[in-house]
Amino acid sequence: MEEMSELKRQVEEDQAASNEHDTQKGKYMTFKSGNEYFGLEIQYVNEIIQLQAITAIPETEDYIKGLINLRGKVIPVVDVRLRFKQPPFEYNDRTCIIVINIKSMMVGLIVEKIAEVVEIKDNNILPPPSIGRADKAHHKYVYGIGKVGDSVKLLLDPDKLLNDEDLSVVEQANEMNNDEE
Amino acid sequence: MAEDFSTDGMLDMYLFENGQLLEQLQDMVLDQKDADCFDEDSINEIFRTMHTIKGSSGIMMFDEITAIAHKLEDVFYYLRESHPDNVPHLELVDHVLEVADFISNEMDKIRNGDPADGESGQIIEELDKFLNKIKGGGDGGDKGKKGAKGGAAAEPPANVHEPPKQFYIAPMATSASRFYRIYIYFYPETEMSNVHAYKSVYALKEIAEDLLYYPEDIISDPDTANTIIKDGFKVLLQAQCSEEQIREIIGVGYDIEKVDVVECNAMEFQQGFDIENGDAPQIPQIDLESSVEEIDARTQEGEKEEKTEESKPAKPAIAPGDFVIKSKEPGKQKKLAKDKPKGEKASFISVNISKMDQLMELIGELVISESVVLQNSDLKVPGLNLDNFNKAAAQLSKISTDLQNVIMSMRMVPLANTFQKMNRIVFDVSRKLGKDIEFVMVGEQTEVDKNIIEHISDPLMHIVRNSVDHGIESKEERRDSGKSERGKVTLSAKTEAGKVWISVEDDGAGLDRDKILAKARRQGLLDDSKPDSAYLDKEVFQFITLPGFSTNEVVTEYSGRGVGMDVVVQNIQAIGGSLEIESKKGFGSIMSLKIPLTLAIIDGIVMEVGKSSFVMETGAIKEFVRVKEEMMIHEPNGEEYIMIRGECFPVLRLGQWYGLDEYKESVEDGVMLILEVEDRKVCLLVDKLIGEQEIVVKPIPSYIKKVKGLSGCTQLGDGSIALILDAAGLIE
Repeated sequence: MEEMSELKRQVEEDQAASNEHDTQKGKYMTFKSGNEYFGLEIQYVNEIIQLQAITAIPETEDYIKGLINLRGKVIPVVDVRLRFKQPPFEYNDRTCIIVINIKSMMVGLIVEKIAEVVEIKDNNILPPPSIGRADKAHHKYVYGIGKVGDSVKLLLDPDKLLNDEDLSVVEQANEMNNDEE
Repeated sequence: MAEDFSTDGMLDMYLFENGQLLEQLQDMVLDQKDADCFDEDSINEIFRTMHTIKGSSGIMMFDEITAIAHKLEDVFYYLRESHPDNVPHLELVDHVLEVADFISNEMDKIRNGDPADGESGQIIEELDKFLNKIKGGGDGGDKGKKGAKGGAAAEPPANVHEPPKQFYIAPMATSASRFYRIYIYFYPETEMSNVHAYKSVYALKEIAEDLLYYPEDIISDPDTANTIIKDGFKVLLQAQCSEEQIREIIGVGYDIEKVDVVECNAMEFQQGFDIENGDAPQIPQIDLESSVEEIDARTQEGEKEEKTEESKPAKPAIAPGDFVIKSKEPGKQKKLAKDKPKGEKASFISVNISKMDQLMELIGELVISESVVLQNSDLKVPGLNLDNFNKAAAQLSKISTDLQNVIMSMRMVPLANTFQKMNRIVFDVSRKLGKDIEFVMVGEQTEVDKNIIEHISDPLMHIVRNSVDHGIESKEERRDSGKSERGKVTLSAKTEAGKVWISVEDDGAGLDRDKILAKARRQGLLDDSKPDSAYLDKEVFQFITLPGFSTNEVVTEYSGRGVGMDVVVQNIQAIGGSLEIESKKGFGSIMSLKIPLTLAIIDGIVMEVGKSSFVMETGAIKEFVRVKEEMMIHEPNGEEYIMIRGECFPVLRLGQWYGLDEYKESVEDGVMLILEVEDRKVCLLVDKLIGEQEIVVKPIPSYIKKVKGLSGCTQLGDGSIALILDAAGLIE
């Protein structure tokens, strides 16, 4: 009898633990940039804030828009469209900053529009198709393609998104342009 | 004298720092326990950890910990230098963990106010055996030396030779106190009755205002067990409780046969055990008396006279290394007498840093929402009468600005405490080495952010120790080279050009360039094709900051193994600082830590160029001038100069330099700032000045690559971010 209840308790505990872990797993924050929808694993996302005053920093890459003050914390912000070498866009009411936290570094991503949080099962995530010469570059920060219903989301590896060398950006940009055409 | 230093804060720091070190050590060791051997980094790391623990334990006079850390350091020194390949890894891991356990154990005892009474002898012996084993029959000379060292280190079980550590409970005078003489008799068959006796003492400590007992050294000397069985265990207790309570606390159990509690008066109490204990051994008796003196001295008014009257020269009250335990204080009165004479000391409380950070963040948010309210677009409706609102708003802004200033200044701490610690080190080390050293502190009131202080105190300790140990020569050498016998070490701090400079200067032997070069060549650090003379002094001296590079031939307790300088540099670099070494053979050396003001507060001038705000440290600005177009001189290659009062300065247009938008083209619309850094001057053109204010420097997030001329950023009153210009960077 005692054994039983002990066992039951343990099972419950396990479930609780795995639930907690699972609440974030498989969920993706999606946003629109250009014509594509991108997804970021939700565990990286700290918060979403409205666009606010950005202090530009001279002599940096154009996609680094500058610094914002997030409640006393100074964090850099990156324009995702410029990062993908897409044409710049006008910031408006719907423009948001997704504050992500990678390896305890906070960075803001300026995106055109926040879409929604979706759940994508692992079996709905395909490796990015490797077409032609661009395959190497593509693997850099889009690590998978998630299917949600009929639409697809490009799943981003935030670490690589921020830290990849410029070279690959150029290649990837070329490929993107090709795609658009 | 050493007694003048308060060890309380140091003890906390010691426990805290070493606790962390040990934790890291264990993590690292456990991480690699399944590997075949430790990698180079971990060996260095363990070695450094032990070195640090050894050093700080030495200062705190925990001899057993010092000895054991020294031993383990020896082992890793051998591993690092000789790379033996027959090391039984698991055994080594065991040893390291054993040592770590021992030290944590001792530290727990210290933390609880118990004496650190563990015996390191056995572990040291094992380490010795282990060391000999991995050395095999190897090299004779080296081994001899090390053996001797090991012997010295292993020798202590400090209790044997040193006067017994004593237990003092700081006495307090309260009229309600009663005095008791307590005799505890144990059953004759009780094993280790000394431990049982200690248990009683420990229990009594809870209520005691003053507590003495005999035999004294029950913890360290197992032989006292016999004495206790034979004569009983005697305790003198001053406390505010009844006889019954005492009996209850001691409790008659399976071990205690009988407890006699006799109440006595203060006089009898002060006479200690003398009455019936005439034959008590000499040392404890003296100790008892001195303790009594202390009680005397502390409880009565006019402390000082009392002490001089008491002509018993026996021994100053508390020797370093004895454990002073402040008893629990029943009421307000317990401000110890010791604190009285100091009188007007500012009172402090320590607050968790994370709470401060939180407060700072909240205030930041407050400022932002304030500006949102005050500049709200709803207020811009024409025809509103806002007089009262504006008045209230002005008051609000004032308060929030003050609030911001206060929180920022809260983080700033003068370096005085850290410097005091160094004073202690100079004192201890020079005494042990028999050197006569004058220690001068300059600028100890320089305020530095708390975070930075935490990071520099260790490196500074190493540098100071190095200066004393092998910077300053021995008395004889100094005499021979015509210097005064008394060496001088100067520790100074200042803020200049937006950096905090902390330098340690000694008038000792200086660094030996040739020796360093020779060693560097031996270790293969030099480019073989380059002659020695091609290396600048600066480059040469930087070699001493590499791991394992020590020019000192003899390893001492303090330095000479080549750890230290690399730790220094590592720690300094971690906060973005640098170490500069100047030295002249025969005349001494200067080691300067240059710490960026990350997080420090500076006075800055806020200015605007185009739409961007910048801040320049006030100290770097010599003057502001409005200039006329005809003062400009244009060179064909685009460079510009300006003549001001007959002096010619190069001109830097900030807007152009950074390619900003909408900056003012004409020099007549803007303002010229004349900047001066280390005698070089430049004129900086900006659009307009906003004002002067105290600013907190924050680092630019590491994600953004370093931009020349920018040293950080800061948050302005309205919540926006301004970039801080680095005058030195601009001039380059």
